[in-house]
Amino acid sequence: MADIRPSGYSKHRKPQTYSRRLGTRATPAQVLLSERVGGMLTLLVVIAVLPLLLTNNYQYDVVVNIGINAIVVVGLNLLIGYAGQISLGHAGFFALGAYASAILTTRYGLHGALALPLGALGVGLLAYVIARPILRLSGHYLAMATLGVGLIINIVISREAWLTGGPDGMYVPAIEVWGFELYGGPVWYWIVAAVLVLAVWLSLNLIDSPAGRALRALHGASVAAEVAGVDTTRYKVMVFVLSAVMASVAGSLAAHFSEFVTPDKASFFHSILFVTMVVFGGMASTFGALVGAAVLTLLPQLLADFASYEHMILGLIMMVVMIFMPKGLVPTLSGLARRRRARS
Amino acid sequence: MPAPLVEFLQFLFSGITSGAIYALVALGFALIYNASHVINFAQGEFVMLGGMVTWALLSQGIDLPLAIAGAVALTMVVGLALEKLAIEPARNADVVTLIIITIGAGIFLRGLTSVTLGKDLHALPSFSGDEPLSLLGATIMPQSLWILGVTAGIVVLLHGFFNYTLLGKAILATSHNRLAARLVGINVSFVLLLSFGLSALLGAVAGILIAPITATHFEVGIMLGLKGFAAAILGGLGNGVGAIVGGLLLGLIESLGAGYISSDYKDAMAFVVILGVLFFMPSGLFGRRGTERV
Amino acid sequence: MSLLRVENLSIQFGGVRAIQDLDFTIDPGTVHSIIGPNGAGKTTLFNLITGVYRPTTGAIYLDDQPVTGRRPNELARMGMSRTFQNLQIMMNMTALENVMVGRHLHLNRNLLACLLRLPAITRGDRTARKRCIELMERVGLGGYINAEAGAMPYGALKRLEIARALAAEPTLLLLDEPAAGLNARETKEIDEVIVAVARAGVTVVLVEHDMKLVMGISDHILVLDYGRKLAEGTPEEVRNNPAVIAAYLGNV
Repeated sequence: MADIRPSGYSKHRKPQTYSRRLGTRATPAQVLLSERVGGMLTLLVVIAVLPLLLTNNYQYDVVVNIGINAIVVVGLNLLIGYAGQISLGHAGFFALGAYASAILTTRYGLHGALALPLGALGVGLLAYVIARPILRLSGHYLAMATLGVGLIINIVISREAWLTGGPDGMYVPAIEVWGFELYGGPVWYWIVAAVLVLAVWLSLNLIDSPAGRALRALHGASVAAEVAGVDTTRYKVMVFVLSAVMASVAGSLAAHFSEFVTPDKASFFHSILFVTMVVFGGMASTFGALVGAAVLTLLPQLLADFASYEHMILGLIMMVVMIFMPKGLVPTLSGLARRRRARS
Repeated sequence: MPAPLVEFLQFLFSGITSGAIYALVALGFALIYNASHVINFAQGEFVMLGGMVTWALLSQGIDLPLAIAGAVALTMVVGLALEKLAIEPARNADVVTLIIITIGAGIFLRGLTSVTLGKDLHALPSFSGDEPLSLLGATIMPQSLWILGVTAGIVVLLHGFFNYTLLGKAILATSHNRLAARLVGINVSFVLLLSFGLSALLGAVAGILIAPITATHFEVGIMLGLKGFAAAILGGLGNGVGAIVGGLLLGLIESLGAGYISSDYKDAMAFVVILGVLFFMPSGLFGRRGTERV
Repeated sequence: MSLLRVENLSIQFGGVRAIQDLDFTIDPGTVHSIIGPNGAGKTTLFNLITGVYRPTTGAIYLDDQPVTGRRPNELARMGMSRTFQNLQIMMNMTALENVMVGRHLHLNRNLLACLLRLPAITRGDRTARKRCIELMERVGLGGYINAEAGAMPYGALKRLEIARALAAEPTLLLLDEPAAGLNARETKEIDEVIVAVARAGVTVVLVEHDMKLVMGISDHILVLDYGRKLAEGTPEEVRNNPAVIAAYLGNV
C-alpha cells in the first residue's frame, strides 16, 4: 500500500558508519537548542527588519499573505511532514474560518476578536468528528477522502448564497479595538507576525516533546509506535484537529485583512497550494514550511509579468523543483551545506 | 409508460452516459497506478487535450476521423513525455512529492493549452447528428450511444489485452511485483512508459466522446480528473472492474441525485457517497485488504 | 499463576492456517523460547500475542485477564513490549529518539503541556534522555546516540530495537530473533543483555535460531511446526524429544 515514506529514508541508502567521535559531538539538547533558539531568533530578526524594506501597500499585502499562508503551512506540516498523513482538503478549513468570521460579524454582529476563536472552535469540532473515520484510511484513500471534504465545503459555501453570498463572496468588516479600526498592511503585518511566531513556537515545542515524538513515530514505524504504547488513532486525530484549527485561525485573519471572502478560498487548487508549500519548503521542517509559504506566495506575484505564461511557468517550476529536490528546499540545501562543511 | 418511470429512465440514461466517461478516466488512473503506484493528477488534462486538440484540428479544416486520430496521437505523445521527463527521474520520491509533480504537470498543460488554443469554450459536432432517439418513452442522444459503444469496446479490448497478450500480462506482472517482473526479464521501464501511453489514450478518447455533449475548454479536465480519481477510489484503487463499476456508479449517483434531490448539489453528492463508502470499506468496493507484514 | 496463557489459538490467512489450536502458558520471571523451522508460525504467534493480528479463534490471557483482540498500545499499558524480526525502526528519527519513543507511557503526554513546553515536559524529557542513553550504552550503542536511524548499519538497528523495547520497562518482553544477522561477538553481547534482563525479573519470550543461545538461557521451550505445537518442556526434555530430533534438530 502506498504510504508516505518518512523523510531521510531511501531504499538505496549507502551503508554508513558513524565514528564514536561523531556520535558524541553534541548532545541532542544542544542540537535542538540551536534549531529551536537559532531558528526562532532568525525569524524574529527577519520580522523586525522586514518593515524597513517595505515601501508600499502592495508589498505589505504580499508579505501579510505570506504570513497567513505560513500559519496554515506550519500546521499542515505537522500533519503531513511529521505525522505522515496527507490532506488535500485543508483549504476547506481555512475557508470555514474565513466565513465564520465573515458571517458571525456581519450577520450576527459579533466582535471580530470573538468570531475568530468561535470559528476555530467550530472547525476544531468538525475536524474532530470527521477525523476518526477519515484517518483510518491510508495513502491515496486518505488523499481522496480529504479532497472530498474540501470539495464538499467548497460547494456548500458556493450554494448557500443566503448565508455566504454565494460565488460572489461577501464583505467582512474590519475589527475594531477601542475605537481604533485594524486596517491596512502595516497594522496587519504585526498581527499576523505575532500569530505566526506563536504558531512556530508551538510547533517547535510539540515536535520535541513526548506527544511530538509519538507523531513522528507513527509516521516512521506505525506498528512499533503502537507496541511502545502510542495510541496512533488518538494522535492522528489530535494533529488533524490541530492543523485544521490553525488553518481556521489563518482564514479568519485573512478575511479581516482583505475584508472580503470568496468560495475559491476552499477550492481544490488552494488546498493543493498549501500542500505544495509544505513539500516545496521541505517536509518535517518547520522553517522549511516558512520558506515554502514565502516562495509560493511570491512566485505568482513575480510571474504576473509573464501574463498568460504564468501558469505554464508555475507548473514547470513545481515539476522541476520536485524532481531535482524531492525532499524540498530547506532539507536539500542544508544537506548540501552540511556535506560541504564535512568536506572542508 | 407512466411518467415517473420515463423520468427515471431519463436520469438513468444520462447517468450511464457520464458514468461511462468517468469509467474511462478511472481506468486511466488504475492503469498508471498499477504499473507505477503513482496517482497521475494530470489524467484530467489528457481528457482536456483530447477534446481541445480535436477541435483545433477540425477548425483547420481537417475531417473529424482524422482530427480524432491526430488528437489521440498527440495526447499519447504528451503522456509518454510526462512519464519520461517527469515521473521516471523522480522514481524514488515520496507519494506526496509525486502527487505534486503530476499536479504541476497538469497546471503546465492547462497553461500551455490556454496559450496556444485560447480560453474559449468549444463544442465538437456530434458524431452522427443531434436527432434524439426515443427509447422506452425516454429520449437518448446518438452521442450517448457512441459513448456507451466505444466504452464497451475499449473495455473488451483491454480485457483481451491483459488476459491474452504477453505485453498485457507483463503489465499485470509488474503491478503485482516489480522486482520479480524484472527478474523474469520484463522491461519494467517500458511497461511504465506503456501504461502512461495507454492512460493518455483512454483520457483522450473520453475527452473526445464527451466534448459534443458538454463542450470543451482548457479547464474541463480539472473536475473530470477529480471525478475519475473518485471513481477509481470508489471501485478500489488499481482494480479494473472496480474502476468501471465505480465510474458508472458515480455517474448514476450524480444523475439520480441531481434529478431527485438537488441539482445544486450534483457535484457534492458523488463525494458524500464516496466518503460514506470509505468509512465502511477503507479500500473501496473491490479493493484488496492488505495485512501488514511486520 | 501464569503471566500469559494462550488457549486454542488459531489464525488463518486466506486458506493458510498459520497457527492451529495452540495452547501454552508462560510463568512470570522465566525465559521462554519458541523454536521451530522457518515458516513454523513463530513471528505470527508474536503478532497474535502482541495484538498486531487478531486471532481467528482462541483466547489470550494476560495476568488472567482476557486480552484477545486488544490493540498493541493497550497491551503495552499492561506491561508488554517486543522487538521485530523485520526491523520496525523509525527511520525519520535519531537513534536516541527511537529509544525515547519506548518510554512513551512513562512520560507526560498532555497535549497542552507539550505545546507550551511546560517545565514538567522539559524535566521529564531530560530524565528520559539520560535513562535512554544509559540503555543504549548497555546494549552497545554508545557510539550512535545522535545518529540518524536511517544511517545506521543493520547490527546496530537490531540492538536499537532491543533498547527501545527495554525503555518501556516491560514485565513481559518478546524478542523476535534478536541475534539474527549478528556476528559472534555481538551475539554474545546480546546474550548477556537478555540474561541480565531476565535476572532482573522480566519475563522473556524469545524466538531464536541460535540453539546455543536458546539452550543456554531458556527455562522452558515451545517447539512449533506448521503452526502446531510439536513439543514443549525444559531444554533437556526438548533436546531428547524424538519428535523434535526428527523434525527439527535432526536437520541441523
